[in-house]
Amino acid sequence: MRKEETVTPPIIQARGLKRHYRRGRETVKALDGVDLDIHPGEMVSILGPSGSGKTTLVNLLSCLDVPTEGTLLVAGRPVDGLSEDRLADIRRGTLGFIFQKFHLIPTLTVAENVELPLMFLKRPVDRERTQAVLKQVGLEGRSRHLPKELSGGEMQRVAIARALIAEPKILIADEPTGNLDKSNGDAIFRLFRQLSGEHGLTLIITTHNLTLGYLADRVITLEDGKILREEKGQSAPVELTRER
Amino acid sequence: MRYLSLACKNLLRRPVRSLLTISGVALAVAVAVSLGGFNVGYRSAINGSIEKLGYQVMVMAKGCPYEAATMMLKGGTGLLYLPQGIYETVKADPDIQSITPIFVGIAQKEGSGIRDDEGAKSFSILSGIEVPSFRVMKPWIGFKGGSGYDGGRWFDPKATDEVVMGFEVAQYEQRKVGDTFYASVVPNGKTEGVRHTFKVVGVMERTGTQDDGTIFMPLSTAQEIFGRQNALTIIGIKLKTFSAASLREFEGRWLKLPEVQVVSLEQVKGTLVSLVGTAQVMIGAVALIAVVVAVIGVVNTILMSVYERTGEIGIMKALGAYRGDIFRLIWLETLVVCLSGAVVGSGLAFGAARLVEAAIKALINLGVQGSLVAIGPAMIGWALLGSVALGFFAGLYPAWRAASMRPIDAIREGE
Repeated sequence: MRKEETVTPPIIQARGLKRHYRRGRETVKALDGVDLDIHPGEMVSILGPSGSGKTTLVNLLSCLDVPTEGTLLVAGRPVDGLSEDRLADIRRGTLGFIFQKFHLIPTLTVAENVELPLMFLKRPVDRERTQAVLKQVGLEGRSRHLPKELSGGEMQRVAIARALIAEPKILIADEPTGNLDKSNGDAIFRLFRQLSGEHGLTLIITTHNLTLGYLADRVITLEDGKILREEKGQSAPVELTRER
Repeated sequence: MRYLSLACKNLLRRPVRSLLTISGVALAVAVAVSLGGFNVGYRSAINGSIEKLGYQVMVMAKGCPYEAATMMLKGGTGLLYLPQGIYETVKADPDIQSITPIFVGIAQKEGSGIRDDEGAKSFSILSGIEVPSFRVMKPWIGFKGGSGYDGGRWFDPKATDEVVMGFEVAQYEQRKVGDTFYASVVPNGKTEGVRHTFKVVGVMERTGTQDDGTIFMPLSTAQEIFGRQNALTIIGIKLKTFSAASLREFEGRWLKLPEVQVVSLEQVKGTLVSLVGTAQVMIGAVALIAVVVAVIGVVNTILMSVYERTGEIGIMKALGAYRGDIFRLIWLETLVVCLSGAVVGSGLAFGAARLVEAAIKALINLGVQGSLVAIGPAMIGWALLGSVALGFFAGLYPAWRAASMRPIDAIREGE
């Protein structure tokens, strides 16, 4: 963890975070008491096997879902008990999203896809800014292409540019390399590292790929809806059986 | 990027599906606009035809009012006659501005016309008139000029062998000024027809009324050859002031006569409108069904499109779109489909109006002249407005469905 993060208040703070839901007569404890602080500029990987609660945790931190119990502050604003539109208020301009599937609009060009969030945020389109973001993700010269003319790695870069255009404070990526081959996956993680290191963006990434996950500043491993372990990143993978 | 542009681009993803849906709307709008155009055009044609009769009220022998109503516009057989004395009595009414007596008879043309083929008409409508009062009623009537038609004039009131032919009947019979015309008339009380030879002294310009298909002769001559001296078919009347109240008063005065019925041309109008009313209701029902089917098609298309884009909608919400933004986008897509369909459908109806009119005229004789289908800017404006209203309602459910999706569920479904 970086030195300045110890003095800066966390941009995300979770206490006793739970997300339970009913499946028939059974109560599924997707997330069962998570305490977590994430500081501005930090790059955090969330690892764990399928069903461990990674996506549930990311959904809560993304303000796409609300906790059953516990408190969550995102950029200083409490999230629990808010309506969908109030959650959208927090997301707008604060959070950027990248998902495993790119969900680009096939009839829009690369530039138009990137600029789409500005329409919802009612911000004017700045072509220079669009070109700058496309350059940042390595897609300069591709702005007039349609998504079908791009490779999977390029499409994910468009999705990253789309997430960056509104200048979010936090970028949340759920399995961003799940649909990519190794070289494209590596390239995307290098881009994340660059965004975190050079631009001070807070990054939260879930992945199954331990090697890539450990490129983060901090690695959080989940199991059965609880944090199994927290450790520094940029080191070799270690045994996941060690208790927190 | 604007919502409208995004909505249009979304529709272009499935061009065939969008085109088919727009075609459905276009077809429904074309039917509705054609029907509306026919409704307006038919009423306007009735008004035009009736105004060109020149009089507002007809006094005629008691009988079927429907036949009376259509007779003056379409012609007909089985005519009833008034005693001419009625004319002199009614003429004294102080509310009358002008009045003209008319005798109508049907002449056999068999073997007399130049056309002997199966399509040739076997009857001619002969009308006996008093030229001075008739011209007061119809000041617009003039004589056709040009080679073979120059020198046209009204017949001498006492002539027994002079006729003036209406524009269409002259063309049909290929008669010009100075030609001879034959007609066989069965006088009242006789069974054998008497053949008469007439000289054409004038051919009228086209009036767009039943006069175009009528052969005119002096009143006394017509009464004579039909063996109905001192009988009239109708008395055409123009009142000094024409209103519902003045007509009621006039009717009240003359309905007391046992053999008379007073028919206002407003009633004739109503009768003629009612003649096609049932057909209009049925066509209207078909148009309504077409519109309902088109709306269902639009709802189906937009709903399918919403379900296909579930993941995208989730992403848009994650990226900051409010429920209202998504609602607006999907609703706009519906409006674009409906409005495009309305524009195409209105254009189709406008372009095909002449064809529709020809088809209607070929199928049924509605007894009016002039254009039967009138599609104007107001009609098209209403069609566009109606399509926006349909789009508004058709888009509500799909837009609500899309707007109500929880982003997390939408993204998960789209994965």
